[in-house]
Amino acid sequence: MRRVWFAVLALVYLEHLELSMKVGTAPICAYGQAGCHILSLADFFDRVIQQSSRMHGISSDLHSEFEQYFFPSKNSIGKRKCHTYGILTPDDKENAQRLGREELTEVILRLLEAWGDPLSQLYWSMSQDQNQDFNHYSSNKALEISDMVHELRDGVEKMAEKMKLLGVLGNTVSYISPESLVPSSALSFYKQGEFNSLDHHDLLYCFRRDSNKVKNYLQILKCTTLPGLDC
Amino acid sequence: MLRFHRLSGRVSFPGTAGAHVSCHQGSDTKSPSLLFWEPAEESPPPPPAPRHGLRQLITHCQLLPRLCGAMMKKAVEVILLLFLLVSMPHAKGTRHSPPGKPTLTRCRSPEKETFTCWWEPGSDGGLPTTHALYYRKENSETVYECPDYRTAGENSCFFNKNNTSIWVNYNITVVATNTLGSTFSDPMDIDVMYIVKPNPPERLAVTVMEDKSWPFLRVSWEPPHKADTRSGWITLMYEIRVKLEQENKWEMHLAGQQKMFNIFSLRSGGSYLVQVRCKPDHGFWSEWSSTSYIEVPDYFPREKSVWILITVFSAFILVILIWLLHMNSHSLKHCILPPVPGPKIKGFDKQLLKNGKSEEIFSALMVPDFPPTTSSNFEDLLVEYLEVYIPEGQELMLQESKDLHDGCLKSESSTSDSDSGRGSCDSHTLLIDNCGEAKEEERQQDQERMGVEAQRHQKDWEEKGLNYAHEDIVSPDMSSGRVKTWPSVFSPLPQYSSNPPDQQSSLEMAKQHYLSDSLFLPDSSSTYLTQPGHSTRESLEPSYCEFRLSNKQPHQLHPQMQAHQQLHMAHSDVNISSIGCKQAPAGLQSPDLRSTQYVEVQKVNKEDMVLLQPVGKGCRHIELCPQMPQGDNYSKVKGVNSDNILLLQRGVMEEDRCPCEDQEINGAREHSHTASTVTTTQKPTACIHTAMPVQDEMVLAVNGYVDTAIMCTLPTY
Repeated sequence: MRRVWFAVLALVYLEHLELSMKVGTAPICAYGQAGCHILSLADFFDRVIQQSSRMHGISSDLHSEFEQYFFPSKNSIGKRKCHTYGILTPDDKENAQRLGREELTEVILRLLEAWGDPLSQLYWSMSQDQNQDFNHYSSNKALEISDMVHELRDGVEKMAEKMKLLGVLGNTVSYISPESLVPSSALSFYKQGEFNSLDHHDLLYCFRRDSNKVKNYLQILKCTTLPGLDC
Repeated sequence: MLRFHRLSGRVSFPGTAGAHVSCHQGSDTKSPSLLFWEPAEESPPPPPAPRHGLRQLITHCQLLPRLCGAMMKKAVEVILLLFLLVSMPHAKGTRHSPPGKPTLTRCRSPEKETFTCWWEPGSDGGLPTTHALYYRKENSETVYECPDYRTAGENSCFFNKNNTSIWVNYNITVVATNTLGSTFSDPMDIDVMYIVKPNPPERLAVTVMEDKSWPFLRVSWEPPHKADTRSGWITLMYEIRVKLEQENKWEMHLAGQQKMFNIFSLRSGGSYLVQVRCKPDHGFWSEWSSTSYIEVPDYFPREKSVWILITVFSAFILVILIWLLHMNSHSLKHCILPPVPGPKIKGFDKQLLKNGKSEEIFSALMVPDFPPTTSSNFEDLLVEYLEVYIPEGQELMLQESKDLHDGCLKSESSTSDSDSGRGSCDSHTLLIDNCGEAKEEERQQDQERMGVEAQRHQKDWEEKGLNYAHEDIVSPDMSSGRVKTWPSVFSPLPQYSSNPPDQQSSLEMAKQHYLSDSLFLPDSSSTYLTQPGHSTRESLEPSYCEFRLSNKQPHQLHPQMQAHQQLHMAHSDVNISSIGCKQAPAGLQSPDLRSTQYVEVQKVNKEDMVLLQPVGKGCRHIELCPQMPQGDNYSKVKGVNSDNILLLQRGVMEEDRCPCEDQEINGAREHSHTASTVTTTQKPTACIHTAMPVQDEMVLAVNGYVDTAIMCTLPTY
């Protein structure tokens, strides 16, 4: 009986600790409101780049899992088209440098915006699909990247705001609604009949690439804005 | 190029690599129809002949339509022939075939701005083959050919910056072509993003930095000059490896994105090799950079001297310790390994005793060659006797049996036995010469006593009323009615008194050897007393006191031993002296034979006291005498009186009656029952019959241990 009490007490204490730890951390805010921990721009960039790097890593894993599981013969990419084809992205370094910070930031935001919904739908679709055995773990990853996309988008927005405050970024950055550039229902773009694993695969392929673009653009943005040791 | 000149024009066969066949007017016009091959020259065919030649040609050629037709046919035939001839040598070596399938081996981009693809050609099919690379970009049907076959070397295609697009899928194919055909390779899909393998880092610099006399290495480098990390276009991670010059194994360090690294824990005076390489976040590791050498200065020169100091110091301490140990070795030895007292009985196994099997214990004590038939070493059979002085005349005729041993001899030899009670020769109060005599006689007569013991005993009894002690060790060897003779030593008192005066001189001088029986109680762990054998001559008058030898090795004394017979109190856990009832002669001085009554030990109680009961004439066995009183106890040696009589008294705990009293078997017999048990814990005691007047004579040895001269007290009724 004593052991049970002890275990209960220990659990309660740990929970309290955990909560207190959560409470103890201060949220980040760009404007320096009360109770926030003010981040420097460098910190912003580091966090955002880390987040995008992680996002890209997870999407890469997911895609390779799909590829292994379903397409062991490694089919050619074929006539794949991503639903973000409408967003013009620079293909090489010169084009990217030629864009400038504002446009680059805009491209980043657009890309992130474009992927919010499709990933949620992907997660929903994967969790619904009962056929695959490994879907359980993959659907968790899909959920994770779906959340990350939203977080990253918010983060980049805040960072852009900060940059504007600092005067590093011009005010021409506008949040263009992606609907004009991106089909309303991204999923229908990939759908070929029933949204099955094949479609999943295509979607993931596209997302992997786009997350890489986002990461790379962010790095370029950082190094053009804050040339330092890392660049 | 072959040229076949004909008079009439040219025929060219493009298939035959530009062989031209033409009408040619030979220089000698002997045979205008002669056709001959001429190796084609690069230069254009020679201009036609001068005009007159031309006129001739025209006139000739005017005839040609018919001739030319025929000639044409012939030319074609010849051509074909020659073609076959030409192709013959080729056909002899290899067969012409379309080229084999080339394979795209790899594509690499050093900085994510350009890339190169290499392929491996297949068999060329015997013909010169050419390769071409075609690619197609994602979602586009346009096929492009490789812009640059040369920059990257043989069998390669280099895509420059203009032709390179990142995040775009390239579908690349290589075609091998020869005269016979072309073969396409398998297509390859690449995204430049994932094929980046940078060049190794450059300008690796290693320096030794001092840190409070503990130096460390500072390694710094530059990214490869082609990779544009400055703009953030490519992000590189670095890795360093270090090793000592003489070692084989490298020490790896991951340096992340930094371009500088510190290495600690260096060997003083060591020589190090350092290398670095890099990798983009998604890509391949570069090759290792060129090696950089560095030498670490001797920052710890005192290393060896310190070790020498330590060694000397510890050696010095060690020497001191050894010397101390040596000085105190003895005391240490006693401290660590104290001498363990052990049982001193030869043949007595403690473990068996602990096991509780008395049979085995005592069987172990049984020496195989015991009693010694041959002349054995008497010293081996140490038994301590209670030494009691017996006068010369009272010496009993004791027959020697096989079990005869000289306790006296043994006593002298057992000088080292500290635990043994020395009752006889070893004691300084004793007459040693008496001992010696006894020993000698013992030895002499030892050999002669191989006879029938019982008979001799009986004979003795008849004659002298000897007292015999009946001894049995393990297996009572009782012949019917005969006494198994352990030599009993007892002589009646009158004999004692007739001893030479030296015997009467002192207690200590008078000794009487008592034969101690090793009698064993079957139910006791230590000893038992067997029923003393009865002989028909029970009516022997003399009574005697018997003392019991150790249970281990009963000694038998020569029946004809002299008065000095030693009874050694053997050092053993249990010594029980059997007691024989010895009837004292009427007077102490009278050497008449007394009748002997035997007492048998009934049991041994907890205090190691032997409870005796007399064995009646008709009661040979204890069981047949229910009237035998139980529990008599003779516990103390009262003392030795002046007549060299051992006074024994009964123990106080038991009832006050001597069992012998109850049995008036032989009428008024005076018995003296003496019983004494000797243990290591308890002093031998004896009890004296209350009826015995000698009881009044209290002498000594209240505590019971009979040391030197033990006088047997005979009842003086």
